[in-house]
Amino acid sequence: MPSLREAQLAFAERVFGAGRPISPREQVYRNNVFISLTGALADVYPVVQRLVGEKFFTQLARRYIRSHPSRSGNLHDFGRDLTRFMLQIPDLKSLPYLPDVAALEWACHEAFHGADAPAFDFTQVTDAQDARPRLHPAARLVASRYPVLAIWEANQENEPGVVDLDAGGDWLVVFRRELLVEIQRLTPGEFALLAGLRDDMTLGEACEAALAAEPALDLPAAMGRIVTNALLTTGVSP
Amino acid sequence: MTSRAAARIPARAGIGLRAAHYRDVLETRPAVGWLEVHSENYFGEGGAPLHYLERIRPHYPLSLHGVGMSLGSTDPLDYAHLAKLKALIARFEPGLVSDHLSWSSVGGRHFNDLLPLPYTEEALAHVSRRVLLAQEYLGRRVLVENPSTYLQHAESSIPEWEFLAELARRTGCGILLDVNNVYVSARNHRLDARRFIDSLPGRHVAEIHLAGFTSRNEILIDTHSRPVAAEVWALFARAVERFGPRPALIEWDADLPPLAMLAAEAGHAQALLEGGHALAA
Repeated sequence: MPSLREAQLAFAERVFGAGRPISPREQVYRNNVFISLTGALADVYPVVQRLVGEKFFTQLARRYIRSHPSRSGNLHDFGRDLTRFMLQIPDLKSLPYLPDVAALEWACHEAFHGADAPAFDFTQVTDAQDARPRLHPAARLVASRYPVLAIWEANQENEPGVVDLDAGGDWLVVFRRELLVEIQRLTPGEFALLAGLRDDMTLGEACEAALAAEPALDLPAAMGRIVTNALLTTGVSP
Repeated sequence: MTSRAAARIPARAGIGLRAAHYRDVLETRPAVGWLEVHSENYFGEGGAPLHYLERIRPHYPLSLHGVGMSLGSTDPLDYAHLAKLKALIARFEPGLVSDHLSWSSVGGRHFNDLLPLPYTEEALAHVSRRVLLAQEYLGRRVLVENPSTYLQHAESSIPEWEFLAELARRTGCGILLDVNNVYVSARNHRLDARRFIDSLPGRHVAEIHLAGFTSRNEILIDTHSRPVAAEVWALFARAVERFGPRPALIEWDADLPPLAMLAAEAGHAQALLEGGHALAA
């Protein structure tokens, strides 16, 4: 009699390995697993699914599930690497913006589940240059050379809209307002400012980076928008 | 916390709380005895799920039901997973915490499904060890649920009820008796569901689950997508007759109906709990 360990390894290989004929009873488990993991991916990546079509998405999901298996008992962790995985798929070369759309959808997923944190309190700041506000833990930054937000928006309605792919790239922040995930366009300078604070710069350093990225940036207006949207929180002291 | 509904889960009918019903539950406060949620749905760090659970928790006793502990796996026990569960327990003070008699992962690969164990002495010793470790880490008793199974391992030598009863005896864990799973598994393996109920020692049964199944190619599948079947209600009535009233839950996950329908199913379960009690008394 095989040990429990051997039996589990053999079961996993037989039922979830590629393509071998299995019994109808084993097939129930194979179906359950692939359907639930594909469903988890479709929940996170509805626009990707719509852009490639349901049939192709299901094939893509099957390959992804085998090459990048779930590593956690919590399905919310599953699907993080889909962006990188899609970059290796030759069939997707005709949709070059697709990995960036996936990155945006994963950012939305992370923003939905991100930690709650109070907005940074600028009234407590005495030395703005050395202040260390941090990007809010439920905020994510996404940059693309494609108009990914327009693509994302065009695929929220029943009738997909038309997007000019040459319209230029996007600098985006994904964050939670109340409980709902929201996406806003940023200027390159605003993006650099938030990225700097995400990456542990002081406010002074982040403002310099912002002006380097966009010399004409209206810094007070940018800070105003950032404060209004509560995109910053208190950093942990070094 | 004094502002909260008591932690203890009453021997009444409750319902599974799902995201689509958060607002409805807050606004209409259905008259059900308690609520149960899937623990892993609250493993995120913030946002809507935890926000709503915080607001609903004061009004109902709460049970945390997991699908990810992988108690039967031969991989190391996942303490990162248990740590999240422990934090959730500290935050929401649930009356019951449960997971399944199954395994979900091997070699670091998770299938996020309830895979069947062979019911052998080796598996019993293995699961017992892990239940003890999990209970020790969580600092509380865990309930273990009989899963729906679609195949039986040839090496199984212990009936499922005996396996569960012995697991409870060795570890002090409770049994979460899923009557629908008893029916589904019995039909799939041509076993006697009634005998399962009649053989299980009642003192370990701390909670009962009820749900609906579907049938595909003559195999019953535990889809949680339909009302409780008449045969399952009959088994439930028998369980209540044998064990007396226990906390009983209506589980519904796929094709979720309006909250009122779940409350109506719970109402039916409640009537059987009360009827059974009268019989037992």
